[in-house]
Amino acid sequence: MLVLGLMVLAVAGCGGEEQALEDTQIIIGLQAEPTTLDPAQLTDYNSSRAAMEMYDSLIRFKDGSTELEPGLATEWEISDDGLEYTFKLRQGVKFHDGTPFDADAVKFNIDRQIDPEHPYHDTGEFGYADFTFGMVEEVVVVDAETVKIILNEPFAPFLGNMAMNSASMVSPEAIKEYGKDISQNPVGTGPFKFVSWNPGVEVILEKNEDCWRGAPNVDRLIFRPIVEDQTRLTELEAGNIDFIVGIPPDDLERLKDDADLQVVEQPGMHTWYVALNCQRPPFNDVRVRQAVNYAINKEAIVDNILKGTGVLAKNILPPVIWSYTDDVQDYSYNPEKARELLKEAGYDESMTIDFYVPKSGSGMQQPVTMATAIQSDLEAVGIKTNIQQLEWGTYLDKMFQPVDKSDVLMHELSWLGDNGDPDNFLYILLSGEQWPTNGFNEGFYKNPEVDKLLKEARIISDQDKRVELYQQAQKLIMADSPLVVVDHETQIVAMKKKIKGFELHPTGVFRFDKVSIE
Amino acid sequence: MLNYILKRLLALIPVLIGVSILVFLILHLSPGDPAQIMLGTKATQQSLDALREQLGLDLPLHQQYFQWITNVLKGDWGRSIQLKREVLPLVLTRFKATATLAVFAGIIAITFGVLAGIVSATKQYSLWDRLLMFLALVGFCLPVFWLGLILQVIFGLKLNWLPVSGMYPPGQTGLGNMLKFLILPGFSLATASMAEIARMTRSSMLEVIRQDYIRTARAKGLPERVVIYSHALRNALIPVITVVGMQIGFLLSGAVLVEIVFGWPGIGTLMVNGILARDFPLVQGTILFVATTYVFVNLIVDIVYAFLDPRISYN
Repeated sequence: MLVLGLMVLAVAGCGGEEQALEDTQIIIGLQAEPTTLDPAQLTDYNSSRAAMEMYDSLIRFKDGSTELEPGLATEWEISDDGLEYTFKLRQGVKFHDGTPFDADAVKFNIDRQIDPEHPYHDTGEFGYADFTFGMVEEVVVVDAETVKIILNEPFAPFLGNMAMNSASMVSPEAIKEYGKDISQNPVGTGPFKFVSWNPGVEVILEKNEDCWRGAPNVDRLIFRPIVEDQTRLTELEAGNIDFIVGIPPDDLERLKDDADLQVVEQPGMHTWYVALNCQRPPFNDVRVRQAVNYAINKEAIVDNILKGTGVLAKNILPPVIWSYTDDVQDYSYNPEKARELLKEAGYDESMTIDFYVPKSGSGMQQPVTMATAIQSDLEAVGIKTNIQQLEWGTYLDKMFQPVDKSDVLMHELSWLGDNGDPDNFLYILLSGEQWPTNGFNEGFYKNPEVDKLLKEARIISDQDKRVELYQQAQKLIMADSPLVVVDHETQIVAMKKKIKGFELHPTGVFRFDKVSIE
Repeated sequence: MLNYILKRLLALIPVLIGVSILVFLILHLSPGDPAQIMLGTKATQQSLDALREQLGLDLPLHQQYFQWITNVLKGDWGRSIQLKREVLPLVLTRFKATATLAVFAGIIAITFGVLAGIVSATKQYSLWDRLLMFLALVGFCLPVFWLGLILQVIFGLKLNWLPVSGMYPPGQTGLGNMLKFLILPGFSLATASMAEIARMTRSSMLEVIRQDYIRTARAKGLPERVVIYSHALRNALIPVITVVGMQIGFLLSGAVLVEIVFGWPGIGTLMVNGILARDFPLVQGTILFVATTYVFVNLIVDIVYAFLDPRISYN
């Protein structure tokens, strides 16, 4: 300590304070280093939060919701058969490098991701390409300001897909110039433009005075990766940074009481669940699945482990997504009922089930602690589980094996919504057509009635009818109990009080374009 | 001497080949798939297969190894799968940050460690001796991780004297700007080594002080200062140098924790993230680089012996 004191004095003597900057900036503490700033290659929050300030897509999610509004397209038309989407593009928009935005740029951006023959297909790895554009047959340039996208089958949520990160428009000239290095040299049309990226240190963006949406109020955004949660928190409290994510649940109350800080929360498009293998004993018996659901005290997990960083889930669909209903079978904690159901099903209590758990992972909250709570709840009704912890990459690999190869009976996973459409949760996670390796129904749930409803709902475009179909599907699904839904994670950020007008977005990206500093 | 150095340099080759094979095998045989991690949870099987093919992950292991190692020898260290950047420049930049931190910590550890050791030894069983050795014991036992967080709260948050984390003030670079940012991580990293060096210096010094030539020096009427600093210290330092050499390895590897706590963009964080993402080219490159550095540092330590103690020669 003595040594440290001496060093502090020495340095304090030789360095003055940095001159105060006259322009405004917001320093954001991220949980890790962004891996890419190319929207077509984004797969994690840290990257998308730093990148998405620089881009626009043809269609935008409205502020604070997943409703759609015009973006780089001013209007659009859908053919009666639901196969052709014609977009009128906004005039006079330029990319940050001066390249004009037009129909060719739209075609270039989509083809680059989905066409292996495209000359710039090898400029990146596009994890979301099939997901976003898998149904696209062809992109046709009608004229400079009109583009037509032809689908190979009707797909009602397609407009929502056109608002996803991966549908953002990158300057074709920049991709041609930088090739693979477009990852580190992003050029979009959005409210902020790229200044520099010092790896491991910071990503700096500055305001785009010529943005078609109007220039933002803040001059500069600086994204700093700070891996350790406590460090990030200390930085905010010390006043060195302005905005943080990933607040440890235990510190949340203290931050809310801090007079200089504000905490902003919003329920996210997220569901955390335990999936049960519906094709194998004992979970091929609906009574055992229901028993597991009753036996787990979800409320206690939300209150005691998540401590207000998640809201109790009643349904696989998060409440922020349209067509949500809580008029579904209620699985409130009821160990008595669980025991009854198990007895009825003739459950063999000598059985020990391997419960697969990742050590950490995107959207997984506190996977191990939550699993331990679940384990002891299950033990109380006579279901013995053995927690198998795996590291995230290995874990995903194991969970997405085809049904004949999968020996996983029970595992945790979570889903983060993409396009704000119920299809994005219900069809993708629970349709019988989506068993791995086709999709993400990794509990191998299959109910022909549900499949029919979900299939129809993704084809028709009548919104009211879609709501009705999805609500029917939700009821059937929850009665079958293929998943134990535990919570919907709340997005929580903390920032200095002087930041005004910040609103979280359900997709998890940040929008600083309308934010001002007092 | 030159012969010895050449021999040691030649011995480096099998060591590095061994390291490269070992690293390669550990990474490739452990479960986990870089394609899956890279494309995220929402990639389809087709795109995963295509990426595996593109990365050459579908080739037999020995082919993958030879492809990688020939490229490395040609100066092409490949491209990081996760960070989408060339490996070699990435490793060099990050290593510079780690080396700066390690050297800074090393200077603190050696200067104050040796000083404390001398004071303790010359004033054996005094209050100073007891206090310093108690502090050394505590310093040796403190987990770096915890120490780092505590220092951040005291000096960064409560007193607000020093920056909490990072390497530069926002938007700036340069060594001068870095200095303030070095102190807390440097001190956290140095503590354990400082303690170890202090204890080693003390015991080695005590042994030397009791030897005949020291008595002779004193009998000749040399001032105590000269006896301690020019006669005793030089010989007492030999075992200390060994410890210092080993501590350099510790400083480079112990830096991982400090780097994470302090958001220091060094090679440790790079490697940990790389391992978690199964970023084969990056991790292989990083480890190969660190191993090479380590071997060279050890060689330098051995050469320093000979300079310090004329009785040691390598012929």
